[in-house]
Parts: sequence; C-alpha cells; structure tokens
Amino acid sequence: MGSLSYQERSLWGSLAAELVVYLPYFFLNLHRANSVNKVAGTIFAIIVLQILLQSIIAAATRHRIKDERDKLIQLRGYRAGYLTLAGLMVLGLGMLWFHTLVGHNFPIHAGFVGLHFLNVFFGMLVISDIVKTVTQIVAYRRAL
Amino acid sequence: MPGLRNTIRELRADRNMTQQELADAIGVTRQTVIAIELDKYSPSLETAFRIARVFGVPLERVFQYEGRKR
Repeated sequence: MGSLSYQERSLWGSLAAELVVYLPYFFLNLHRANSVNKVAGTIFAIIVLQILLQSIIAAATRHRIKDERDKLIQLRGYRAGYLTLAGLMVLGLGMLWFHTLVGHNFPIHAGFVGLHFLNVFFGMLVISDIVKTVTQIVAYRRAL
Repeated sequence: MPGLRNTIRELRADRNMTQQELADAIGVTRQTVIAIELDKYSPSLETAFRIARVFGVPLERVFQYEGRKR
C-alpha cells in the first residue's frame, strides 16, 4: 500500500466496505423476505464502516492532496457509474414492460411488490456504485 | 497513450530531485508525476508550465509533441 496515493487508498477502503456490507445482504437475504428495516440497516452499516475506514486511511496518509488527475479519474468513475445505472434502469423498465405484455400480474395487494422494487432499485444503486469505484481503481492502476 | 513525450526524468536526475520533491513543487501527487514521466498521462497546460518553471527551462525542453499514438 506504500505506493498508493490517498485517493487510491480511499477507493480501496470504499470497495472493501461496499463488498463487506452489500455482498452478505444480497447473497444471504436474496431468497428471504426483505424489509425496509433491513435496507435501512444496510445503509446505516455502510455509512458507519465508510466513516471508520476513511478515518483510518486519512490518519495513516501523510500527503492528502487531490490533483487534476484525481479529478479526471473521479469524473471517469462517475460517468461509468451513471451509464451503468441508466442501463440497469432501462433493463428493469424493459423487463417490467415484458412481464406486463405476457400477462404476468404482480400481486400488488400482497404488499410484496413494493419491497421487491425497493430491493431491485437498491441493487441497481449498489451495482452502479461498485462499478464507479472499480472504474476509478482500474484507472489508477493503469496510471490514468 | 498520449502523443506527448517528456524529459522530466532526465531533468530531475540532473538536479538530484526526487519524484516527491517535484510533486510537492508543482502541487500534484507523486503518482501523477510517475504517470506523466511514463507518458501515460498528459498534464494540463498549467501543470506543464509549472514543471518547466521548476526546472527553469522552456516548455518545449520538457515536453515534445510527437503526434497522436494509436
């Protein structure tokens, strides 16, 4: 880690926090009944873990400047994250349209559909965020 | 790869300057200096002028444009 800049270390910290919190959430809870409380708990956990990790990284790094290359890489990351989010949204809407077209009715009365869509959109946000972080890390590793 | 070549490594070596010292002098990270030296990243015009000023040489002595590489 000695050759990494502060921004790069911070990104590795973010990725670690995202994987530690989101992977168990999506893989352990995928076939269980999810609730709003679980989503809220996951968001709370990621915030706490991010604050903890970023504080440790900041304390352990002497040079904490952000230069023009960091900003360029950040922009690339946000562009990749936005395109992923937009693509997933279009895919999700297309699948919803397809289900409606072939006559699948969602059990709206059961209150299930709300939680289902909450998880789908939460998943889209998580995937986009991970794509953004990974894009930035790859750009740093490739020297841009 | 940008079509920009530079002589930063040689200019640094002539002055016994480390990458970190150059980075501090021009206000960027050491990793950015490494990326510029390896021709992986073309700096902004402002940073390019700062580098030339640190070495006390004209801009074209530090950077040479060799056309777009594929």
